[in-house]
Amino acid sequence: MSPKKRIRKILVANRGEIAVRVMRTCREMGLATVAVYSDADRGALHVRKADEAVHLGPAPARDSYLAIEKVIDAAKKTGADAIHPGYGFLSERAELARAADAAGITFIGPPAASMDAMGVKTTARRNMNAAGVPTVPGSEGPIADEQEAKAFADAIGYPVMIKAAAGGGGKGMKKVEREADFPSLWASARRESAGAFGDDRLYLEKFLDEPRHVEVQVFADEHGNAIHLGERECSVQRRQQKVVEESPSCILDERMRARMGDVAVRAAKAVGYRGAGTVEFLVDARRDFYFLEMNTRLQVEHPVTEMLTGLDLVRMQIEVARGERLVAQEEVVRRGHAIEARIYAEDPARRFMPSPGKITYLRVPGGPGIRDDSGVYTGWVVPQFYDPLISKLVAWAPTREQAIERLIRALGEYTVHGISTNIAYLAAVLDHPAFRSGEYDTGFCARYERDLLHGPDPAFEDVALIAAAVEAFKRDNDAAEEFAARAGAAGARSAWARLGRARGLRGGGR
Amino acid sequence: MSEYVALLDGGKREETLEVRQTAPGIYEVKLRGQVHVVDVFKHDYGTLSLIVDTASYTAMLDRRDTQVRVRVKDSVYPVEILDEKKLRMRRATRRFTVEGRQTLTAPMPGRIVRVLVKAGDEVREGQGLVVVEAMKMENEMKSPKGGKVVEVLVSEGQTVEGNAKLCVVE
Repeated sequence: MSPKKRIRKILVANRGEIAVRVMRTCREMGLATVAVYSDADRGALHVRKADEAVHLGPAPARDSYLAIEKVIDAAKKTGADAIHPGYGFLSERAELARAADAAGITFIGPPAASMDAMGVKTTARRNMNAAGVPTVPGSEGPIADEQEAKAFADAIGYPVMIKAAAGGGGKGMKKVEREADFPSLWASARRESAGAFGDDRLYLEKFLDEPRHVEVQVFADEHGNAIHLGERECSVQRRQQKVVEESPSCILDERMRARMGDVAVRAAKAVGYRGAGTVEFLVDARRDFYFLEMNTRLQVEHPVTEMLTGLDLVRMQIEVARGERLVAQEEVVRRGHAIEARIYAEDPARRFMPSPGKITYLRVPGGPGIRDDSGVYTGWVVPQFYDPLISKLVAWAPTREQAIERLIRALGEYTVHGISTNIAYLAAVLDHPAFRSGEYDTGFCARYERDLLHGPDPAFEDVALIAAAVEAFKRDNDAAEEFAARAGAAGARSAWARLGRARGLRGGGR
Repeated sequence: MSEYVALLDGGKREETLEVRQTAPGIYEVKLRGQVHVVDVFKHDYGTLSLIVDTASYTAMLDRRDTQVRVRVKDSVYPVEILDEKKLRMRRATRRFTVEGRQTLTAPMPGRIVRVLVKAGDEVREGQGLVVVEAMKMENEMKSPKGGKVVEVLVSEGQTVEGNAKLCVVE
């Protein structure tokens, strides 16, 4: 079948690991790539990986990666015939899809109308209710007024979640435990939401007590085919941000997987979806599931599904955007177990404070069943302006136990110097009995905080001290030796110089 | 022979080490009264391979200002190594305690989104003083102690470097 739309050059409207990841597939498909970058990202890896690069503007996202006109102009200037938005930034902004359409550029994502229907979380809730998909109790629409919002929160009872209508990725999302905290958290959520999405509308949802977060990857093409690629369990979260994701989920059996898959496909079809999407569910202790939101884009944790199915989701996105047909549901085979750990530039011991700065040394793991999707290199300065995610490390193995051991092993090989990372924290998460047993929910990180933030193992303290002292000794002595060597060399040079001068005086230099 | 003092737990603990080189790459290190014979091979940046007695270890040394973070197996040990000269200097300059005047500093470069107090305000321990935004997340900087705000050094909208002084509580 010949594709309807030609795509030969793709502008990747993103940065960091996801821009690099999209460009890798483009390279494999023989497609040219265009990177865009801000002042802070001239030296970023994605700029190097692309065939062309266009500067967008100042470091703050609203002046660069969120500036739709600048992105469209960059595509026109370079003759890109498609735009891949990655995740975050403009990926769920229907305006970008519309602007691309108007400029005759293919947007690699769903139609703008589907994004409208799902992108504003409150509209999505209404649509899902209409399609017979269960949702979490909450406000019908965004609430503009703080007093009104607080009254609603008081009425449904604390704790409540304040969420950004345009949101995703935990930005602009706040859990309010007590009435007294409402005003400051409301204001904070509003600022974060405006900063991250250029949209400060907020809504409220009842906080379900420690549910599990399970999502289903869906795909749809323009020929009316819609399939699901199974679930990802994303319950290990801190500050409402996912940290570890795995598939299969320990709480799903084949029947529940098929049921959730059907509901997810129904949700996608209800909004005329096309491309890759993720339907997120909360699952309570009784294993009832509720629609949380649909992310109308590629998800950060999509490699988990790729490892499990052997499919390349970015390639599928591009194929669907060209007008090609999806594989049939029966052809999707899931095997083994995959787990992803998100490596952030942050300090878990200081309440996960971001840790921007220069990476002075980087060595990434390898070996069987390991995939590292990174966007950094030795010498790169992680800027303060963007998300602190630096890499995603994924392990695949035939069983869950082996996948856990493999990922812990690979985290042990991961070396990042110069900035703080959560690598040791991630290993502690995977090694925790509650994680190993599979009996965990979204309260996991908070409940086991003390276990997960344990200090160094006293057993190897002596080795560490010996290493540090020998290194100091070597440095002191090497410095002295080098000085002596250089002084000697300088003496030798001056001898040659003396000889040269002597020859020069004699004339002819022979 | 050289003597070093290792400061652990942010200076709360000290261990003394004596290092002597006996052959190329071979060292004798005395720690807690015990002498270890250590074969050290230096790999690429910051990586040492150590054979201590017979056990083989890899130590990754990540230098940050005065501190070195040593990773062995899956643990990271933040250590400050002082030679005799540095130890004397440190003892001479140690004059601050946790009591009294406390200066709150920015933990990272970022932007001040809110200043929650003004000079003269009474604050309790753990009360939010300044909200710093970095990497799209807001972080509320809390007072290290109960007391009175004597000085606020930043204003809303301002961009600050890491370690910039934010305010002073007494």
